[in-house]
Amino acid sequence: MKTGIQSWLDERFGLSIITKFLKEKTVPQHKHSIWYYTGSAILLFFTIQIITGFMLVFYYKPTPEGANESVARIMTEVPLGWIIRSVHSWSASFMIAFVFIHLLSPWLSKSYRKPRELTWMSGVFLLVFSLLSGFTGYLLPWDDLSLSATKVGTDIPRSIPLVGVWVTKFLRGGEDVTGDTLTRFFGFHVSIIPVFMFILLAVHIYLIQKQGMSLPLSAEAKKEKVREIPFWPNFVYREMIVWLLLLGILFSLAIFFPPSLEKAAELMAPAPEGIKPEWYFLFLFQTLKIFPAKIFFLPGDTLAVLLILLAGILFFSLPLIDNKPAERKGKIITIIALVLIVYAVVMTVWSLL
Amino acid sequence: MKLKHSLFTRREFLNGLLGGWLGALLASFLYPVIKFVFPPTREPDQVILPFADFRDMSPGSVKNFLWGTKPGILKKKDDGSYMAFVGVCTHLDCNVSYLEDQRKFFCACHDGWYDENGLNIGGPPPRPLRRLFLSIEGEDLIIKREGGERAEDQ
Repeated sequence: MKTGIQSWLDERFGLSIITKFLKEKTVPQHKHSIWYYTGSAILLFFTIQIITGFMLVFYYKPTPEGANESVARIMTEVPLGWIIRSVHSWSASFMIAFVFIHLLSPWLSKSYRKPRELTWMSGVFLLVFSLLSGFTGYLLPWDDLSLSATKVGTDIPRSIPLVGVWVTKFLRGGEDVTGDTLTRFFGFHVSIIPVFMFILLAVHIYLIQKQGMSLPLSAEAKKEKVREIPFWPNFVYREMIVWLLLLGILFSLAIFFPPSLEKAAELMAPAPEGIKPEWYFLFLFQTLKIFPAKIFFLPGDTLAVLLILLAGILFFSLPLIDNKPAERKGKIITIIALVLIVYAVVMTVWSLL
Repeated sequence: MKLKHSLFTRREFLNGLLGGWLGALLASFLYPVIKFVFPPTREPDQVILPFADFRDMSPGSVKNFLWGTKPGILKKKDDGSYMAFVGVCTHLDCNVSYLEDQRKFFCACHDGWYDENGLNIGGPPPRPLRRLFLSIEGEDLIIKREGGERAEDQ
């Protein structure tokens, strides 16, 4: 039954198109359907990031003089401030972890095949923006570790021919990491990146609704029809169970393991020992570390950066490269994917040793 | 409509004109945006420091100074002369430290090593530390980006 307000709004917005769509939407059930829950988990953590981010901005001061102190104040004086920051920090890790898991599903089950290439590509952009969000957020507490990590991270693009120097300058707001970099990163973190993420999310989610849920190749090959459940309310209720579980884990970790805060960054001090980026950059960090200074006649760091860039471009265009998923080529690409996952895990563990 | 000897129609011509004009307009909007985004930071041509601050350094020790937005490192050699470096690792831009007991420069970010003269000897650094040129004039220690002697015997 529609209430008076509902029909009044519907006459003006025409929202019944959307509600009708959601009522008729179904989700296939098969042995791989657990992957379908990863996307909404990301949305859950993204929402938490936005809400806790809004809250942190009430007290945070994006200047070299005030940043570290204001974070210290959030951790010690602001009522429940420590848990808000802790949730923000943990939820960022969770979100990126789920982004990685979420991207494995189309990769391994080849659901980026025609016509879902653009869903994959918008997803890769979302991955990049998620990582950028983590990277820019890491600097904001403005302590020794975050400063050094930012110096290294913003220097990496410098090795890209032609544009590299300008990318570094753009990110830093000058030749070096200074107070200007902090202001700029704050701007990236709280406004520029979120705006792009909202646009990309809209595209990504629209494409998924437009094309429906993808079936794995194995399920598609079978002749009989795959069992389906209604999206509303059956699937949404199941998702909510997953969310509650994840929220429980998130809050537990946030309460028992709040993030640390080192002493305020000094721009001229030598880099502290044992600097490490966030865990999701460790495999790149370790790759850069093991590249020797010179390989044949090329500088090692340039070669490493170019390889990473090339890998990124190939990764983005994967649906176009992997255009015969059921054949030998597709199987080789799956094996490469598995090798790369093992590589990332090994490198991450190695860098922690 | 296309004239007999014309290469393009009137519409194509006008579309090209309009498109070109719009492109030029866009470029004129983008130019100030790009200018704005890159602030003018130049490294200094020289810095002048009071020599009195550095005269009493013991041989083999280092002292920091500000080289624009980077740390500079002044090192007193065993023979009493000075060397100046930009104290930034040539690998990925971290600030280096001088380990006096080992007589080496060390970058903690990726385990980079330089000898006491700033030569890269271990780890990922691709080049030696950048040397600066220094001279002592009266009570002033003048450190320059380039030009002049690499006056080690001052």
